Amino acid sequence: MKTKKGYTLRPLGQEYILVAEGLDVADATRMISMNATAAFLWEEVEGRDFDEQTLVDLLIDNWNVSPETAKKDIAALLKSWRKAEVIVD
Amino acid sequence: MRKEYEVAGHRFAVVMPDNEVAWNSMGSYKPFEVEGVSDCIFTAELIEAMPDITEKKRVTVSCAGSDQARIELYEYKDEWLMELAPTMNAPVRAYLITDKAFKNARFRMLGSIWFSLNTVMMLMFAFATARKNTLLMHASVTVKDGKGYLFLGKSGTGKSTHSQLWINNIEGCELLNDDNPVLRVGDDGVVRVYGSPWSGKTPCYRNLNVPVGAIVSLRQAKVNKIYRQSMPESYASVYVSFSGYRFIKEMAEGLHITNAMVVSTVPCYMLDCLPNAEAAFLCYQTVSK
Repeated sequence: MKTKKGYTLRPLGQEYILVAEGLDVADATRMISMNATAAFLWEEVEGRDFDEQTLVDLLIDNWNVSPETAKKDIAALLKSWRKAEVIVD
Repeated sequence: MRKEYEVAGHRFAVVMPDNEVAWNSMGSYKPFEVEGVSDCIFTAELIEAMPDITEKKRVTVSCAGSDQARIELYEYKDEWLMELAPTMNAPVRAYLITDKAFKNARFRMLGSIWFSLNTVMMLMFAFATARKNTLLMHASVTVKDGKGYLFLGKSGTGKSTHSQLWINNIEGCELLNDDNPVLRVGDDGVVRVYGSPWSGKTPCYRNLNVPVGAIVSLRQAKVNKIYRQSMPESYASVYVSFSGYRFIKEMAEGLHITNAMVVSTVPCYMLDCLPNAEAAFLCYQTVSK
């Protein structure tokens, strides 16, 4: 899968918000808020091909989480990214 | 003739021939007129003939609805060219050519002077202030006890109606602006709301400003209900209530910084409401705490 083009990650309070700033985005009002972990993962995979395992590995390598927790967290994260339509499979 | 105006502390200049009839359509700017010549964030000069624009390259078109203004953006040489029409399918009524710093603009009007003049000035004002902690909003603002309350919502939601409900039912309320107030974050961190020469269909052009008490997004509903928005929700509500070209990186950055500062400072609410007095009381009692 891949992140969609035209989105920019911006800081908002203690968290982040991913906003549509490209000319090629169909719905310019679409946005999704992210915590620091999700924002880190987004930046890591932005613009390149990745799969669920890429994110799980990144999470395990950078945060002190068990593989089981990582799998569960990434599944939830991908669900929210798909719902917000900011990634394509 | 050159005249200067100051809106939300930002000075700009309009240049037109002395005998130009369009000066007569600028009554709403009178309260904002300032003496003398000084540094302006932009200068807009009326031109009688267009340069040859056959080489223009289309960038994007924006139009929020069939009865809303249509703005076609082109790149022309190393400047921006905007072709403006009052509705989605209307013919072009005005041209605006500006340098990419939004400092020097030329415009031509083919008719609909009121629409053309105000659209040109509002666009230039919004773009020239995008990096100056300023947002030209789409909102109705009512003042109560020295604080401004902004009502946001899509066209036709009832922003003006809600302001009128406060004014008619809550003592000591007055209208500051009914369509296009300006938000500005001061050097002291205080978010203030300013009147402007642009107020939609309601002639309310007040050169006044007050600190913002709250920002309330309105949604039509069958039952009155209000809740405080989370920070991302607040950000999104404000985000859709001002415009700017976000594909221009510097502009997107400036608008984001102001948007984030506003929602970090000012409490934002969502009000599901009927057009009745009870909605105004519920809103006022909640947001004025």
